[in-house]
Parts: sequence; C-alpha cells; structure tokens
Amino acid sequence: MFKRLVLQDSAALYTIAAFSVAASIFVAVAWRALRMRRAQVDRLGRLPFETATPASQHEPDPESAPD
Amino acid sequence: MPNGKITIEFNDRVVRQFLLATVIWAAVAMLVGVLIAAQLNFWQLNFNTSWLTWSRLRPLHTNAAIFAFVGNMMFAGIYYSTQRLVKARLASDLLSQVHFWGWQAIIVAAAVTLPIGLTRGKEYAELIWPINVMVVVVWVVFAVNFFWTLARRHEPSLYVAIWFYIATIVTVAMLYIVNHLSIPTSLTHSYPVFGGVQDALVQWWYGHNAVAFFLTTPILGIMYYFLPKAAERPIYSYRLSVVHFWSLVFVYIWAGPHHLLNTALPNWLQSLGMTFSLMLWAPSWGGMLNGLLTLRGAWDKVRTDPVLKFFAAGVTFYGMATFEGPLLAIRSVNALAHYTDWIIAHVHVGTLGWNGFMAAGMIYWLLPRLWSKPLHSVSLANLHFWIGLTGILLYVSAMWTSGITQGLMLNETAENGTVLAYPNFLDTLLAVRPMMLMRVVGGGLYLCGWLLLGYNVFRTVRGSRPVDASIEVFAGAAEPEAPKLSFAGSILNPPVVFSAAIFVFACAWMFGGDLMKIAGIVGAMFSLVLAYLHFESRGRRWADWYDRLLVTALPFTVLTLIAVVAGGLIQIIPTLVAGQASNMEDRRQVPYTPLELAGRDLYVSDGCYLCHSQMIRTLVSDVLRYGDYSRLGESIYDHPFQWGSKRNGPDLARVGGKYPNIWHLRHLEDPRSTSAGSNMPSFRWLLSKPADLDALPRKIAVQRSLGVPYPAMTDAQVIGAATAQAKAIVEDLRSAGASVEPDREVVAMIAYLQKLGKYEPVAQRAVAGGPRLGD
Repeated sequence: MFKRLVLQDSAALYTIAAFSVAASIFVAVAWRALRMRRAQVDRLGRLPFETATPASQHEPDPESAPD
Repeated sequence: MPNGKITIEFNDRVVRQFLLATVIWAAVAMLVGVLIAAQLNFWQLNFNTSWLTWSRLRPLHTNAAIFAFVGNMMFAGIYYSTQRLVKARLASDLLSQVHFWGWQAIIVAAAVTLPIGLTRGKEYAELIWPINVMVVVVWVVFAVNFFWTLARRHEPSLYVAIWFYIATIVTVAMLYIVNHLSIPTSLTHSYPVFGGVQDALVQWWYGHNAVAFFLTTPILGIMYYFLPKAAERPIYSYRLSVVHFWSLVFVYIWAGPHHLLNTALPNWLQSLGMTFSLMLWAPSWGGMLNGLLTLRGAWDKVRTDPVLKFFAAGVTFYGMATFEGPLLAIRSVNALAHYTDWIIAHVHVGTLGWNGFMAAGMIYWLLPRLWSKPLHSVSLANLHFWIGLTGILLYVSAMWTSGITQGLMLNETAENGTVLAYPNFLDTLLAVRPMMLMRVVGGGLYLCGWLLLGYNVFRTVRGSRPVDASIEVFAGAAEPEAPKLSFAGSILNPPVVFSAAIFVFACAWMFGGDLMKIAGIVGAMFSLVLAYLHFESRGRRWADWYDRLLVTALPFTVLTLIAVVAGGLIQIIPTLVAGQASNMEDRRQVPYTPLELAGRDLYVSDGCYLCHSQMIRTLVSDVLRYGDYSRLGESIYDHPFQWGSKRNGPDLARVGGKYPNIWHLRHLEDPRSTSAGSNMPSFRWLLSKPADLDALPRKIAVQRSLGVPYPAMTDAQVIGAATAQAKAIVEDLRSAGASVEPDREVVAMIAYLQKLGKYEPVAQRAVAGGPRLGD
C-alpha cells in the first residue's frame, strides 16, 4: 500500500492535502492571534521590559576609552 | 501565597562564558572558511597533507560555524533572555557548567577528529558516534536546565521568544537522534542505519531543519528579545509573532526534500518539499517585517548605534535568505542552481548575514551589561559593521555570479539538445575562477571585521568587573491570567481530540485498503463537521484551552513536538517502508566487494562526496554529461548515501569503467597530470598508507545486519577476497607501468571507483497501474 503511495500519479493529492492542513493551521492560528485581547497583547509584548537592564552603555566614557 | 519580596541574582557567568566562546570559535570557523576558499583557488595550499586537505577541512568549517559559533551564541542568548523573561535564575549552576564545558569538549573533539578523517560522511552530521553520544548528553543537560528553570519561574506567561527556544530544544533533539542512528564497527567508525534513498531523505530532513531549528528558531527568539531591548520599544506586533511561530514551526519541517529535487527521490516527495518551501515565504517574511517594523521611530538610532545597525542588517539578511530559499526550491530554478555556488551563497547569506550579524549585535549589546563597563570603542564596532557588510556582499555576489554562470554552462546544450555546449567540466570551473578569488577577499574582509569585534571585546573585558544582574520578585509564583492545564487536560480537550480523529481517519484514507479508504473518508468528513459544530456552539472552550496552554510549559512543549513530528513522519514512514531493496524495480545495486567497501570508507573519510555527487538527475544536461539518470535502486545499499550536494568536480555515479586503473592512480596522485587546470587536491598519501583490511570482517558483519545481502563469509574469506582483488588491480597497474603495493589505500580506492554505476537488472513484476518504482 505504501508502495502505491510512492508510485501513483494520484500521489499529488497528498501534496494538496498537506497544503490544506497547513493552510488551515495557519488560518486557525491567525484567527486566534487576532482575537487576543489588547491588554493581553500589550502585556505580553512588554515582558522583555519587566526586568530592568542597565541603560545602554555603548557610548564610551571619553576619559577612559580612547577612540 | 507568600507576599514577601525576594532578590534573585541571575547566573550571568555562564552567559559570559558562552559569549567569549562564541567570539573565539567564530574566528576559528571563519579562518578555516577563508583557508578552504583559498584552497579552491590555489591547490598548493592543501600542502599535500591529509589533515589540511580541503575535503577534510570543509566539514570542520561547517561544523565550527554551525555548532561552535552559532551554538555558543545561541546558548548565551537563550540563557540571558530566559532568566529575565521568566524572572528566575537558571535552575542549576552545576548543569550550566556541565553544559558549557561539555559543549566546548565536543567542539575540541570535532576539531581533532574531522581533519584526521574520522567522519560519518553526512553533511553537518559528520561527527563520529562517541562524540554524538556526548552531544545528546549535553543537549539533555541543556534541556533539563532550561525546563527546570521554566518550572521555577516567577512570570506565568511565556513570551514568544521562549516558544522559539522550546521548539529548538525538542526539534533539534529529535532530528539529531534520528539522523545519527548508527551501528558502530569500531570506536571511531559506524554505518548509518538508513541507506540509499532512506538515508538521503532522513539526512535532508535533518540537514534542512538543522538550518531551521538550530540556525533560525533560536535566533528568532533572540531577535524577539534583544531587538526590542536595543530599540527600547516592544515588538511591532505580538499577534504577528504568534502567527510567525506556529506557522513556521509547522511548515518548516516538511520542506527537507527540496534538497533532492530532480533526483531519483519519488515525485510526490519532491512536490511536497517544493510546496512547503514556497509556503515558508509567508511566516518568514512575517517575522522579518515584525523585526524591521519594531525599529519604527528608532531609525535615527540605527545611524549611530552599532547594535541596531547589526540587528537591522541581520533581519534584512534573514528576509533575503528566506526569499531566496523558497525560490531555489522551485524545481526549474533548482535545476540551474543545485550543485553550484549559488547554494553556497544562499547558505552564507543566512550564516554570515543573519546569524553573524545578529550575534555581533547581541555581543555588542551584552558586553557593557555583563562586564559593567562601556564598550571600548563604538567606532570600531561601526567599522566592523561596514567591513563585514562589504565582505558579505562581495562574497555572495561572487558566489551568485559563479553559481549561475557555472549552472548555465553545465546545462547548456547545442544541436537541438543533443550535445553539450561545454562537455569538459573543467571549462566551467575555469570560467568561475575570478569569482572564486573574490570569494576569498569577501570572506577575508568578514573575518577582519570579526577580529575587530574580538579586539573590542578584549579591550572592554580587560580590567573590568563581571557583574551578575539581579531582580526583586514576589516569593512564590504569580497567578497566571489563565489557570494552568493539567497534562491530561492538555490532551483530552476538543481541539486536540478532533485534530487527532481527523488525522487518524486521513491516514486510513491515504494508506488503507478499499474498506479502510471509505471509512477514512467518511470518518474524516464526519469529524470535520462535528468539530465545526462543536466550535460554533462551544468556541469559548477552544479559546480557553489555547490561553491555558500558553502558560503551561510541558503540554506546550509536547504539542510543539507533535507539530514537528507530523511533518517528518508523513515523509519518512512511506519512504522507510517502500524504499527498500526488495521493492526496487528496474535496477538494483550490486553490493561492494570487501576491497571496494574498504575503498568506499576511504572515499567517505577523505570527504570526496563534498565535491563529487553520485546522482545523475533527470535532466537532459546531466544525462548527456554523466550517463543514464540514477535510479533509486542503484544506491539502495549505500550506508551512508553519497548523492552529494555540491559539484566542485564532476558527478561520479557512473565513473566505474570509464577510465583505466592507471588513470585513477595518476589522477589521485596528481590531478593536474590527467586534468589540466583542476583544483583538486593531491591525495598522494593514499599511495603510501596501508589500507585497514583487518577491520573489514566487522564492517561486513554490520553491513549484513543492515540488510546488505553479503553471503556468509569467514574473516579469512573476507581478507582473502580483498587481497585477491587488490593483487589483480596491482597487476593491471604494473602492466601500465606503475608500481604500487597491493595493501595501499589507493588500490582500495581504485577498486571502489571502478565499481560505481554497476547494477543488476531486476526482473519486472506486474504492478497494476502507475510507473515502476525504479523509474
């Protein structure tokens, strides 16, 4: 039976089936994402900022870092 | 719940360790890359040594770039961001140190074994089995440390970066273990359990997804954390990041077969690989746009801040690479590009542009924070950016030009497609030599940029004080917005149950007999309708389940694993079941004699497969140049398969019998004596080094256990057969004027090369409908 899957021209159907499955997952996830509450989205989006990190220190100290 | 505050000090020591290891190993990987690029131009740079030969160093370059450079960078980024996103110190300092030192030991072991020719002969999966065991152990340590940290977190929600890390950990584990399944023949040698088409499919399922889940998903997680931090604004669209994650994770895993287009791989798999590769455009570009749009309102900073420069360029390169990848997966484009430098350009857009620039941005951002000292020189960092960017652009434009030029020349025919326009492979090689030289210049510039980063790191770290950051959190875990799921609850719920039912019925439809097919169709349709009705009436329960899933790490991980496993199983199971020697029609490979097997192991050990494919594609130009197209059955006993991925030299699938033995001897000793203008290294040591014939009985026993139909032979018979064949070859060489001892490696290599393309016809069996498997 697997052999027929490999052989027959109708195997192209499986590509279409796989595409349909993936597309439906894409649509379902997109739908779910769009339905997320604004407050929830904002909170999740700000998670990286809940733990303070020191301010950017890229600018070298002009006295200690010759450039 | 206790309401007192506690202070958590992060384990930033291990982050610093991984960061410094990144800087060092990246330099090594790039240095080796520049050397092997130079060797392609100047064969003398192989120095007539085995361990400095191009084909031994190329795996060192790729493994160092992937596992040493990006691996260390990924671990640094994951450990730094995870602790902060979940507000918890890494669960175990001991595991963190085992992870770090274990990973460095693996890298050192790889750096020693690959140049001395100890390899499994599969790209990016070359490491010998004891090192692979170490990889698995260290990866498990990493996973335990990571998930244990999640279990102790003080932030209930899992930010999208954590999702990408989870997908990385589970998927890489699955891919690595399956593709490295081997049976040892000694402490340093093994044969993969898969052979021929099975091995090809598993290898590129792994190879493609190593790119996806080692070089992409963790870096995307890093992007989703570090880019907002550097730009000081949240990600452009969190909703888009959710879609990006799920669609990427689900789609990526299916695309592996695009590495085998126009080969003997069954058509349906090629179509599947192409279709899903094209679908990757959507999530990849969604992610890229999400990254770039995060910089909205901060573009003025890009002008002065090297961190944002690197991030902006890195994300742009991600967009370029993920546009180019699906393009190359279109069969007709692939017919031109595959086996040429275009693919090498594509890979380097991803590795140097996406991974390399994201790594540089992350390092420049982390340095002042981990060592509590301003970056030594912003100007040097900016200089690094411009030198690196120039280097990449030179490199990839040279390789694009080279690849397209060589592809066009190799495929061009004349006289109505009956003869090749450029029958001599070397003509196509000589035509791209200037581009190969430009590649060295581009790679050299990129390396110089990285050395500037190394100098900047050194000057910043020297005399500084390492600091471990800390935060205050409320003792005890915070209450999640949605209650957590129990493990059973995550499985026994409407979305999962209906999905599972549809999947099972669909399998019955596709793979079942007549009655099963009908039951499958009816069952799948019925489940679909039922799911829709349930969703319409109880949609809130579906949404609740999803919300709860996102705050519960273990079920989330399991479902992510299921999402990636599904794509793999659907490709691999039919191929494993159908792609066996007993099912081959038309042609079947003749197993190698003991001496030929010894020669094949040398061919693998010396990395010949890195320049010479053994797969004549179903293309007119391939057939005109190399002979009849390759059938599935003709490599069915090859453990590992040797279809190759790049042609720096011609295909060898049918080289057996094309030249006399003496030609091969002269060619291996000095390639330019037979092929003027060749850039192939000399393999002179094959003439002086004795072949390891004593290992053959054990190797043949393992081959038999893998299904290769060797007759039962005693050890003496195996050695005797090898010796007798060697003497016959030596006698032939002597009659042609060359003197070689019969026990030398070159004799075994010649025996193997002369076997290539030999097959036995298979009696046709009546198969109702459809073409034959071997076609």
